[in-house]
Amino acid sequence: MHKFWLVLRHAYLRQVQTKRFLFGLLSMPLFVLLIIGMGILAARLRLKSDPIGYVDHSSFLTDPVSLPDQGSFFNPNLLIIPYSDETSANADLQVNKIQALYVIGMDYLQTGAVERLALDRPGENADAQFIEFLRLNLLKNQPEEIAHRVLNGSSITTRSMDGSRSVSEESILSLILPFSAGLMFILVISFSGSYLLQAVVEEKENRTMEILITSVSPDQLMAGKTIANLLAGLTQLGAWLGLGLLALTAMQLIFHLESEETFNFGQISLLLLILIPAFVMVAAMMTAVGATITEAREAQQISGFFILPMIAPYWFMNSIMSNPNSTITILLSIFPITSPVTLPIRIFFTIVPAWQIILSIGVLVASAIGALWLAGKIFRTGMLRYGKSLSLSEIFFGNFKEGGD
Amino acid sequence: MPAIEVKNISKSFGSNRAVDRVSFDVQPGEILALLGPNGAGKTTIIRMVLDIFQPDSGQISVLEGPMSEEKKNQIGYLPEERGLYQEITLERCLTFLASLKGMQPAVIKNRLNEYFQKFELSAYHNKKVKELSKGMQQKAQLITTLIHDPKIIIVDEPFSSLDPVNTQMVKDLLIEKRNNGVAIILCTHQMHHAEELCDRLILINKGKAMLYGRLEDIRRQFAKPEVLVKTSSPLPEKIRGITEIVAVNGYTRLKLSNRFTPQDALKELIKLNITLEEYEIAMPKLDEIFIQVVQGKQG
Repeated sequence: MHKFWLVLRHAYLRQVQTKRFLFGLLSMPLFVLLIIGMGILAARLRLKSDPIGYVDHSSFLTDPVSLPDQGSFFNPNLLIIPYSDETSANADLQVNKIQALYVIGMDYLQTGAVERLALDRPGENADAQFIEFLRLNLLKNQPEEIAHRVLNGSSITTRSMDGSRSVSEESILSLILPFSAGLMFILVISFSGSYLLQAVVEEKENRTMEILITSVSPDQLMAGKTIANLLAGLTQLGAWLGLGLLALTAMQLIFHLESEETFNFGQISLLLLILIPAFVMVAAMMTAVGATITEAREAQQISGFFILPMIAPYWFMNSIMSNPNSTITILLSIFPITSPVTLPIRIFFTIVPAWQIILSIGVLVASAIGALWLAGKIFRTGMLRYGKSLSLSEIFFGNFKEGGD
Repeated sequence: MPAIEVKNISKSFGSNRAVDRVSFDVQPGEILALLGPNGAGKTTIIRMVLDIFQPDSGQISVLEGPMSEEKKNQIGYLPEERGLYQEITLERCLTFLASLKGMQPAVIKNRLNEYFQKFELSAYHNKKVKELSKGMQQKAQLITTLIHDPKIIIVDEPFSSLDPVNTQMVKDLLIEKRNNGVAIILCTHQMHHAEELCDRLILINKGKAMLYGRLEDIRRQFAKPEVLVKTSSPLPEKIRGITEIVAVNGYTRLKLSNRFTPQDALKELIKLNITLEEYEIAMPKLDEIFIQVVQGKQG
């Protein structure tokens, strides 16, 4: 057991202390940051903070109410200037004192028609704020709560028939969680799997394997390496999530965003029950594949091949969402390769019978154990095979006894 | 009791019989040379001894019983295919490999310092393995083989990539280990090294043991009726009982006729008043025996 820990520690540190790992760790948040930054910049560039003006021929804005001062970085409050005639308003428009002029027709209350005049395309917030301004003034004689409700709309909450769960359409986090759980699973598997494949193949390539297995049992070696590389993948994901939460908190503080979202720990526990055996299963499969091949280049190609069936449920996402209890969806949520992505989504969209959840987790656990067993066999057979990949017949019929039980 | 006892082991891969009923033993304080051409089955035999492969038949006893995880700590192995982690420092790499042999960190540190000094690697302990020369990596690999003071050492081509000074140092180390009671299997293609170091040898060809025994006995078995002489006076063109006289590297090889013994030849040379500086029975070199056996010209 002591040697298992030595292998685990060495394999983990060897992975996380490489430049490749640090680059991978930092490149994704930096990339996301860059994309977000570009998005913010592009959105902000579409906004203008110059005043807008209006001429009211309908005379319903004789004593207008101003918009409350709720400006933000993404929606700066615009000064709305009333003009008594179009000539003076046009003069200001010509000298860019205002970015747009809105002319309210005499029959506005009947038709809602407003004319906009501008020299250049006005900022995207100009129309929105003027419409908001009109709405506010149309409702100014209504009781405050009525006006507030009309302006802020209604909120629809979807509740399960048994009343056990409810989801508000405004609750973004509860929608994100099942989708992101699957994505995270795929990401961790991609990182851990490629680390694992690389590590196993590298040890074959640099011939360290032969030294290792004369010091430690193949089972301890495989288990130590598998868990170490899984931890390396989780470290990467953890770091990203940590940085993401940090960025989210920073954005909330900077842009004064309000959030009442909370995590549902029951849902998270269920996700962990699904994802942990799935991680072990795929990591074991990757180890087995690493032992059968001979070159790191081959390993990269194969790790991509592994990811394909896992992302398959995303191809059927529409069908899963619209019909979460169809036979194909149920099968996808039980089949161990597709269940880590399908089951969390089904749980979000429908009441999944307990037996299906238990069966799905049971199949995953059994598959993980089976994959570990098979990986152990293949690892023993293939670990010293230099320059020649194992054939399928060797894997399944031929040389298992070579490894030496 | 032998440190390693191999009894009648066989191993096949598919239809290829890699090892065919091979038996040998290695005693503590002995160097056994495991010789054979490429693909003869030497590495398969070693891997079976190390419990990496299981023999199809036959038995292997290591340190008085089957191989176990604990016994792995008593074995130092230098494989033919050298393997070190290239991307980490030399010290970190060797510390990890030594820790897998059950050594404590403090002991590893002390021993590493000793070996770094002995192998003149102290200045490189913080360098990445991939930055070291082939010879330095070879020395580093030897350290992993020896650092834990194993009772059994199995070395496959230990002198490749080493300069003459380091080759001699490794030879001295192996001899020192043998004198301290370590059982050593030496696998090499360089026959002169085997000749110099081994007490006994086993020659494998096509999976079968072709020769097995003491080096001197085997050389005697293959000796031809020839003597080597070095003289300070010229030899006559014809000498009684000598069928051929050939000059070889400052020596003269005298081929004896049937039933003419080396003693008879010596008497004849003395009778001819030839001044002898050296006189020895021409024993075949190990590489001559090797070629002879591998090419099927034994006897």
